[in-house]
Amino acid sequence: MNQSFNSLTEELRSVAQELLREGKVNMFIGFGQGTLTARTTPLFISKPDAAAALTWSPFCSNNLAGYLLDYRETNETIGVLVKGCDSRSIIRLLQDNQFPRSRLVVIGIPCAGLLDSEKVTLELGPQTEIGDVTDEDDNFLVSTTTGQHRFAKKDYLLPKCLECIDSNPVICDHFTGKKINIGEVNERFVEIKSLEALSPQERSRYWDGYFQNCLRCYACRNVCPACNCRECIFDQAGPDWVSKRNNLSENTAFQIIRALHVAGRCVDCGECDRVCPVNIPLRHLNQKVLKDIDELFDAPMPGTDLEQQPVLGHYCADDPDEFK
Amino acid sequence: MPVKFLTADKLQIFIDRLLASSTVFSPSNQPGNVIRYTQANKPEDICIDYVNSDISPKELFFPQTEELFSFDQTDEGIDLRVQTGYKPKVIFGMRACDVKALLTLDPVFNSQWPDPHYAKNRNETIIICLACDKALSTCFCNTFGIDPVAPEGADLVLISYGSGYIIEECSYTGRELRELYQDLLTQEYVHLEKIKEEKRKQLSEQFVHHVSPSKAKETMDNNFELPYWDEISRKCLGCGICTYVCPTCHCFDIFDYAPEETTGSRCRCWDSCMYGDFTKMAGGHNPRPTKKERVRNRFMHKIKYHLDRYGIEGCVGCGRCIVKCPVNMDITSIITDLGEVK
Amino acid sequence: MADSPLIPFIATITDIVDETSDVKTFQMVFDDPAVMEAFNNKPGQVAQLSVFGTGEATISITSSPTRNGILEFSVKNVGQLTTALHQLEIGSKVGIRGPYGNHFPYHSMQGKDLLFIGGGIGLAPLRSLIDFVLDASNRDQYGKVTILYGARSMDDLCFKRDLFERWCRLPDTEVLTTIDRPEDAWTGHVGFVPAYLEEINPTPENKIAITCGPPIMIKFVLQALEKMGYTDEQVITTLELKMKCGIGKCGRCNIGDKFVCVDGPVFSLDQIKAMPPEY
Ligand code: SF4
Ligand code: SF4
Ligand code: SF4
Ligand code: SF4
Ligand code: FES
Repeated sequence: MNQSFNSLTEELRSVAQELLREGKVNMFIGFGQGTLTARTTPLFISKPDAAAALTWSPFCSNNLAGYLLDYRETNETIGVLVKGCDSRSIIRLLQDNQFPRSRLVVIGIPCAGLLDSEKVTLELGPQTEIGDVTDEDDNFLVSTTTGQHRFAKKDYLLPKCLECIDSNPVICDHFTGKKINIGEVNERFVEIKSLEALSPQERSRYWDGYFQNCLRCYACRNVCPACNCRECIFDQAGPDWVSKRNNLSENTAFQIIRALHVAGRCVDCGECDRVCPVNIPLRHLNQKVLKDIDELFDAPMPGTDLEQQPVLGHYCADDPDEFK
Repeated sequence: MPVKFLTADKLQIFIDRLLASSTVFSPSNQPGNVIRYTQANKPEDICIDYVNSDISPKELFFPQTEELFSFDQTDEGIDLRVQTGYKPKVIFGMRACDVKALLTLDPVFNSQWPDPHYAKNRNETIIICLACDKALSTCFCNTFGIDPVAPEGADLVLISYGSGYIIEECSYTGRELRELYQDLLTQEYVHLEKIKEEKRKQLSEQFVHHVSPSKAKETMDNNFELPYWDEISRKCLGCGICTYVCPTCHCFDIFDYAPEETTGSRCRCWDSCMYGDFTKMAGGHNPRPTKKERVRNRFMHKIKYHLDRYGIEGCVGCGRCIVKCPVNMDITSIITDLGEVK
Repeated sequence: MADSPLIPFIATITDIVDETSDVKTFQMVFDDPAVMEAFNNKPGQVAQLSVFGTGEATISITSSPTRNGILEFSVKNVGQLTTALHQLEIGSKVGIRGPYGNHFPYHSMQGKDLLFIGGGIGLAPLRSLIDFVLDASNRDQYGKVTILYGARSMDDLCFKRDLFERWCRLPDTEVLTTIDRPEDAWTGHVGFVPAYLEEINPTPENKIAITCGPPIMIKFVLQALEKMGYTDEQVITTLELKMKCGIGKCGRCNIGDKFVCVDGPVFSLDQIKAMPPEY
């Protein structure tokens, strides 16, 4: 359908500018140009003129919804830009009463998938400036200072985007651009199925290899829109459920607690996986849970429906199973 | 000028013998394609095809978790035991920025109240560097006057040349080590300075950032309050990745690990000034209550405080914080931006 | 590694005084007399106290170095470690490392009148200097000593024995106390410390004011002193920050390029004004 990202960017800028000019939002959270090739950076603007710095491209990987938590205690009305997957975290936050709907303006944008910026940079070279990007359905056409490059989606999209079920935001007040017809969703949980097929020993070896490298920086927690406890148990001085000591056993305990803590609330935005400095495939942990939710509860992806309570977060009087 | 030369096939023998005679740490390829310094047991463990490691080798001198002592309380009293298992080691394959980072950490740990835990690791480690052939787009060691082909603080440096490596010894220890491998080395006649100059030129073409920290420091000297910090810090997640991967960050926490209550150990463990509770007091007061103060502190520390206190810069331009920051907080653009504040 | 400054020396609690409902003063003696001998603290310094299994906390040394052979620490029960300390008994074993930090500039205070202004537990660090100055061996080096001290209530006054039985009986020493709100059994002054200070209005002439207490009290005391004509060099206070190592390494207690654990905790007002306001 040959959608140009520059024209979407233009549209987005004028939406943001209007909202700020009319005082409908005090702050708009979107994306700005990053400092590296194929990178963008979260941008916070409060003046209409600053909207000119906003940008939209397949490199806008951050989920901006989590920033709402920083403005919980203020009186500001916040406009936040969301892709399909990010929009699920908006519902998540609203369901947990983490942010008042009245101070929130959701700007939705259709998303045809995000490009893996590392892979693209490898291809383009680190000093290449990217101009416009065009969505050609199966490819992204990227114009740069060194010419045009075609990136096949099946090879260059982030893994989460290959399994995307919400190209269009599930909640929004202003929609930018045209809805994308998502068509057939790729088979989900492919990697999880192959992990499930491993023997317990093999699986343990797989995870141990990763967990021993965990730095316990907790970036995966800080970035997560489902992690909104006011005091996280990993920060509590006492009792120390998980000791600060970095070793395989404590790291594993941390990983299991984190994954189970967000079970049923994780919306598969993939941010934890993206930010991890030692590339632990955290999404595999979350996806195992999502697969179970899908199979055992036949429930939709968390954050899809404002009315639907999280599977592990509500009590149902006619539950067919005994409560043990 | 005659130089000692190690051909590529002899490098294998060199590594074999090094592994047989010492405890060797080197960059290795970890699950998820992460380069980290780990103990090498066999030659295949060693990865030399890398530009810079994901996690800095600081952890070999100042480990993320370190037991300071263990304690055992009985009716008779308390018994403190100090572990003494520091093994001499050789690090193979460090880069210039990371060695410079040790020189940056030295005054912190070795001055007033010297820290023997660090000193022991430092004194009993032989550092073999690989001169850089490639730079990442995030490398900016040049900014701090670091020479990637002549690492300051190394014992031995391997400079790739032709079909092998020129070996340069930079310390007495380095010389002793080199002598052990004399039989593997040949004598070549090359213009070493010219080779280095050539490499420097190649590298400098790859450096993207040419920033001037002195101008940024001047701004910092004169302004503590700047609206800039408020703006730039909004996107920070307070995740601390930048500090954990940084080769010069040295914040730590001290705590007791005692599941049995009467016996246990006192440990120190990396901590980060980017965390909200880092400076929070038992009574609740927090001198750096928001991201603004914390982000400002980190960058002021790198560019100003460390330099003012120890006379050596707090950043070595390894670029890890730029690569790893999930929100693209970029120290080079902060240096540039601050340099432009009038 | 026995030379690691991060490894404490074992000491025994030899006495405990209940100062208030949440403050206790612990007397401690190192088990090894040689360690006691070498400790050599100066008024205003701090130490790291260990309760093994719980951890460490930075506590100011309340006793004057003139009291040979013992150390005293007054501890308010506010956090994990202090709670654990409060549960200990006479004879319990603890760990101590230190002394850390700078100290009150007692040399440059010689020949001057000293005005101590304290609130609540803030009298603890001041006490080390008060007892040092009032000690017979040093007394003639200093002028008049005035101690102005207040707390929320009678119960919250620390060091009652020192205030009402010891210091007030010494020559050329004045003790003024106040509590925030009237109480039946209290016949003394009622009101906040800064207000009381303005009432007595001590002249700045040849005087050094040393103040320590809750941040809000310090703020108004500093304003009052300024109004009375005290210069910034004449005013000394201590800063309290979260500390872990005590030796300038863990990076926690910095204010700008200063580490409070080694460059402080004692600062004159002009020094504080030159620092970024991060305390
Ligand atoms: S982001 Fe990665 S390294 Fe950091 S705590 Fe999470 S899993 Fe561990
Ligand atoms: S656990 Fe990961 S994928 Fe799930 S909501 Fe949190 S950050 Fe997103
Ligand atoms: S890595 Fe980036 S987001 Fe995380 S604490 Fe550092 S500056 Fe903030
Ligand atoms: S601040 Fe960033 S660039 Fe500088 S030494 Fe640390 S990680 Fe490297
Ligand atoms: S307490 Fe560690 S640096 Fe001051």
